[in-house]
Amino acid sequence: MTTEHPINRRWSMRQRDWAVVLWIAFLSAAIGAFVLFGLVDPLDMVNAWADEYDFGMRLAYGLAFAFLYLVCLLASALTMFMIRTGPSRGHTKGEGRRPIPKVQDPSKSSPEIDGEEWK
Amino acid sequence: MSQKQDADTALYRKDPKVYPRDVKGSFASLRKLAVFVLLGLYYLLPWLNWGGHQSVLFDLPARKFYILGLTFWPQDFIFLALMLIIAGLSLFFVTAVAGRLWCGYACPQTVWTEVFLWMERWVEGDRNKRMKLDASPWNTNKIVRKSSKQILWIGFAFWTGFTFVGFFTPIRVLGESVINFQLGGWETFWMLFYSFATYGNAGILREQVCKYMCPYARFQSAMFDKDTLVIAYDEARGEPRGGRSKKDNVAEKGLGDCIGCTLCVQVCPTGIDIREGLQIECIACAACIDVCDQVMEKMDYKKGLISYTTEHRLNGKESHIFRPRIFVYAFLLLALTAGVIWAVNNRVLLRAELLRDRNALYRELPDNQIENVYTLKLINMDFKPHKYKIEVINNDDMRLLISPEPELDPEEVGNFILRMQAPISAGRGSMKVDVRFSTLDEPVIERTVSARFLLPFD
Repeated sequence: MTTEHPINRRWSMRQRDWAVVLWIAFLSAAIGAFVLFGLVDPLDMVNAWADEYDFGMRLAYGLAFAFLYLVCLLASALTMFMIRTGPSRGHTKGEGRRPIPKVQDPSKSSPEIDGEEWK
Repeated sequence: MSQKQDADTALYRKDPKVYPRDVKGSFASLRKLAVFVLLGLYYLLPWLNWGGHQSVLFDLPARKFYILGLTFWPQDFIFLALMLIIAGLSLFFVTAVAGRLWCGYACPQTVWTEVFLWMERWVEGDRNKRMKLDASPWNTNKIVRKSSKQILWIGFAFWTGFTFVGFFTPIRVLGESVINFQLGGWETFWMLFYSFATYGNAGILREQVCKYMCPYARFQSAMFDKDTLVIAYDEARGEPRGGRSKKDNVAEKGLGDCIGCTLCVQVCPTGIDIREGLQIECIACAACIDVCDQVMEKMDYKKGLISYTTEHRLNGKESHIFRPRIFVYAFLLLALTAGVIWAVNNRVLLRAELLRDRNALYRELPDNQIENVYTLKLINMDFKPHKYKIEVINNDDMRLLISPEPELDPEEVGNFILRMQAPISAGRGSMKVDVRFSTLDEPVIERTVSARFLLPFD
């Protein structure tokens, strides 16, 4: 019996996509949170935007990070979606594309369609 | 050199520039109407006033959003979020019913591209003239036409950028700053940025935005089913296509109704051939329907060789407007809209925040009274001035002292010092106090806020 060693296991494309999306969004959100709280005191934000809820510092940090993570996740996931569902390699060379539609002067084959409005 | 050129051509298939031919017809008129209404709203709304305010103004420094008769404060942010969700749901709903209606008639990309195309046509002429002009060598005529077009485009783009910033800075003030060359740095930046975006998207990129950049174009198909309206060519009726004269015997020639005039290709703003079947590039603008109908009329054939139809109808099956997904979208949309309208109408136009003085827990007064001091922030969100009454509810021992007497102008934020006093016998430690704020005039606007009142602990 052969058992696959975890190291030999290969991730499917979908697994890779999501792993990358989750991880890159996390890193971006972390950088964002560092920079944000280097500049802004969360207590200021708490007073300004949600004065009804008197929540503490840590919750403010946590919520801000969660928010940043969500935004980054959205950006990452949408980017992945756009690239995966977009044209594939070879598109610029014309691969997988329909031939350029041919056009002609309609009056050449159908004499009735020849007035100025059709030119 | 020639080797390099060969390699380049082999690596790259250049698509020809799309020169959409002008088209007239019912759907073209509908689009024209949409352009006038939507851009009319965009360019005019900031100039109109409503209730003493610019009708739509996102005043970021003051953190107040004016939308028609309503003012949204930071605390109302949820409404804006909900309105965005409603807008998204409407898009789902419309897409499920009528396909890419948004793309063909309402998307800013379509609407602005349409206007840029009009300008191009005024200056350079319709499709054939434009193609000839582009192919011709640079002469006076070409220079004059091309530069006039650029002047029109850039002017219109600037006006667009100016209007955009006018939604964030009062537009009349902004206009004065532009005339006197006193624009601030950020205003200049955003004006130029939005002008550039308009020029680039509507003048240069055009259909490429829809084909490569637009996320909606990618996932709209998820909202489609076999009963969704699409634009399609009736292959069974049209094929085999071929040129003919009206006098020809079509049956003898073995031809379908498509005369192969390729006008449907020439009017297409994304440069596709609808007769090849439904394609992701099709933005459902219906230009091909309009032009094909005119050709059919000219040939004395029945209209509708290219038409709005559904996959079911194309396959000879019955099409249904009412399907489960339509009901689900419609229900969600109605419920959310009704909810938001109700909630906006029932907003309490008064906010109060009580912050305890952080320097002292409490103060003992000579007559066995304990005093706590608070900073009161009172916001009058109404369009009328109000005087306010403040009282402690459910506690008769408590006395309230405030200076000055709270009176606020429309949309004013006031800060006051509020003192609360209670006899030392009222309790021990921390006590919850409910303070009610209400207007003295009718109809009464009131809000109750809780605060902590501290007494000696021992």
